[in-house]
Amino acid sequence: MFEGKYYNGRTSKGMPAFITLEPNYIRISWRADGDSGTEIWHLDQIHKSEFNDATTVLEYGGFPRQSIAVFEQGFREVLEMKFSGASFLRSKYDSFQRTGVKGLVIGGVSLLVLAIVLFVWGIPALAEKAAAHFPEEYERAMGEQLYHQMMMGHTVDSAKTAALQEYVAALHVESDFPVQVTVVKNDQVNAFAIPGGFVVVHDAILDEMEHHEELAGLLGHEIGHVQMRHSTKALARSLSYYMLLSILFGDVSGIAAVIVDNASTLTNLEYSRSAETDADKAGLELLVQNNLNPQGMVWLMERLQSDAPEFLKFISTHPATQDRINEIESHIPETNYKPVPNPALEAAWKKLKAE
Amino acid sequence: MQETSTQQETIVSKPTLAFNGQGTELFSIQIVNIALMLVTLGLYYPWAKAKNLQYIYRKTELAGSPFTFHGTGKEMFIGFIKGLGIFAVLYSILIYGTLQAQTDLGMYFLCLFVFMGGLSVLVPLAIHGMMRYRTSRTSWRGIHMGYRGTLGSMFKVFYLNLFLTIITFGIYSAWFTTNIRKEIFKNLRFGNAQFSYTGDGGELLILNIKGYIFTIFTLGIYSFWWAKDLVHFYINNIFIEQDGKYSRLDTSLTGGQYFVLAVGNLLIMVFTLGLGYAWVVTRTMHAIVNNCEIIGEFNPDALAQTEEEYKNATFEDMADMMDIGII
Repeated sequence: MFEGKYYNGRTSKGMPAFITLEPNYIRISWRADGDSGTEIWHLDQIHKSEFNDATTVLEYGGFPRQSIAVFEQGFREVLEMKFSGASFLRSKYDSFQRTGVKGLVIGGVSLLVLAIVLFVWGIPALAEKAAAHFPEEYERAMGEQLYHQMMMGHTVDSAKTAALQEYVAALHVESDFPVQVTVVKNDQVNAFAIPGGFVVVHDAILDEMEHHEELAGLLGHEIGHVQMRHSTKALARSLSYYMLLSILFGDVSGIAAVIVDNASTLTNLEYSRSAETDADKAGLELLVQNNLNPQGMVWLMERLQSDAPEFLKFISTHPATQDRINEIESHIPETNYKPVPNPALEAAWKKLKAE
Repeated sequence: MQETSTQQETIVSKPTLAFNGQGTELFSIQIVNIALMLVTLGLYYPWAKAKNLQYIYRKTELAGSPFTFHGTGKEMFIGFIKGLGIFAVLYSILIYGTLQAQTDLGMYFLCLFVFMGGLSVLVPLAIHGMMRYRTSRTSWRGIHMGYRGTLGSMFKVFYLNLFLTIITFGIYSAWFTTNIRKEIFKNLRFGNAQFSYTGDGGELLILNIKGYIFTIFTLGIYSFWWAKDLVHFYINNIFIEQDGKYSRLDTSLTGGQYFVLAVGNLLIMVFTLGLGYAWVVTRTMHAIVNNCEIIGEFNPDALAQTEEEYKNATFEDMADMMDIGII
């Protein structure tokens, strides 16, 4: 027999009670203010009791529930011995807690390892797979939306755009998407690609260039980004991260916010360094395919390097320029051909420079 | 624990509040939760939340007796799915509108309007629904809490204050906050005891202006004392009426304690890569609950059951999705 408090569910007054554990039920004899009574609790109507400490609390029946609270006296042990296997004592949480520090440490570490594996390999791999299977029409449509949205904040130089488009037309390009170039007025020496074949070039970078091979290299670089679906992959990846975090923290509205916000964040998406190196290679390949001087790619890089403070912003998301030059130069000997002058390209280049 | 029991033995029974939860215990619960959520792709979330709340309530004590959270994963799962559905519809409308923005600007603004309108209806609805569910599923010594407010009066308070906040360029938001709290607390029941909130919007505005200016001049250090002031403003203005007698909640949390709490929590999160979240929760609960006491003649033995059962959890998770935290 144990001493405890009995609460009848109608008032909060704790009534002193004697609690007896019978084979198939619990008997509670209570006494308060000259009143007294006995309750019989059937095991199947006792509610699940978890997370108990020195005090064991049991609740019983429908609304409003009766309850008892028993402070120590070995009540918990006797309860578990007598009613072992009863549903109100079963708890996967309590049993995990009983594994102690060892169980917690193993559980915590394996969860951490799982999270790292998921974040470092799992999600990027899945996202890239998904992005690679993204239908071309959708990617083009998505790119078109983004392109229009981005152009709202820019002034397009239509004369230069037309000249640059002529240059691209004279260039031999291998791409899944029709390449559409746009020149915008901007002092920043920069250019960027949007999924679906859209390449945006700032007029400042055109002004800096001295050889048309540099331009071909730049276009090859940006088209490389598009062809290798770098933005789409990065977008898919950040979206998957967001979804995983949302699942863990139960925030649903965030997912949609990412989709809506992507237009503004896409310009800031940092292509990884390996993506940049791959795009540089694509730029070099384009020069090779068109029998242009492979040195154009190096000139392009040197132009970025020559005026460091001015270009810091552009460079910061990219590998160190000297490393990129070294990387390109290491590939140039593999290209053994004689550069051939290309009158169509040169004419388009002259026209572009004249505008 | 010992402190609680000695205080119970004194003749004037003091309704002490205490939180006895431990980080290790909560951590062991969260590990199971996260593992099950990963396996079920997040669908376990309502059950995980129920367990979390059941633990936190069980370890929060008033006059030596724990609170009980009666909500179940199943109830909240139904709410979770409904909430998810409503959000899916609203966001589909918004995304559709955004995609039409190029070709049909009118459609874009219509969609934006429907979306914003939908959200502004959902916020008071979520507050109301969550209060009804959460309070009804909370009990102490078998006595349930309850929320008696009507949806109509919540809408009225919400829209009137929203309107005033907009036309005063946000200055009225201090009154917005306090008036919503007044509406919530005056409808809050704990058995036959009734709550009320007496904070004044003007006081909150001054507190925020002072906090803002001092925080700038002290390069952010004052922000902990600002936060402490807010906690005091939110807690110390809560009154409880029981059989015609009034008591008040009172917190003794100091700015220094808040500083230790906040910086400690930040360091725990950073150095455990987020795994220490359980300790962040228990530390915060300790700081808030153990520094809080009920001043006055509140008699914890004299509460009577008055509320009916209510099990609709539709807006419990909706409030989560919108990041509405009330108490």
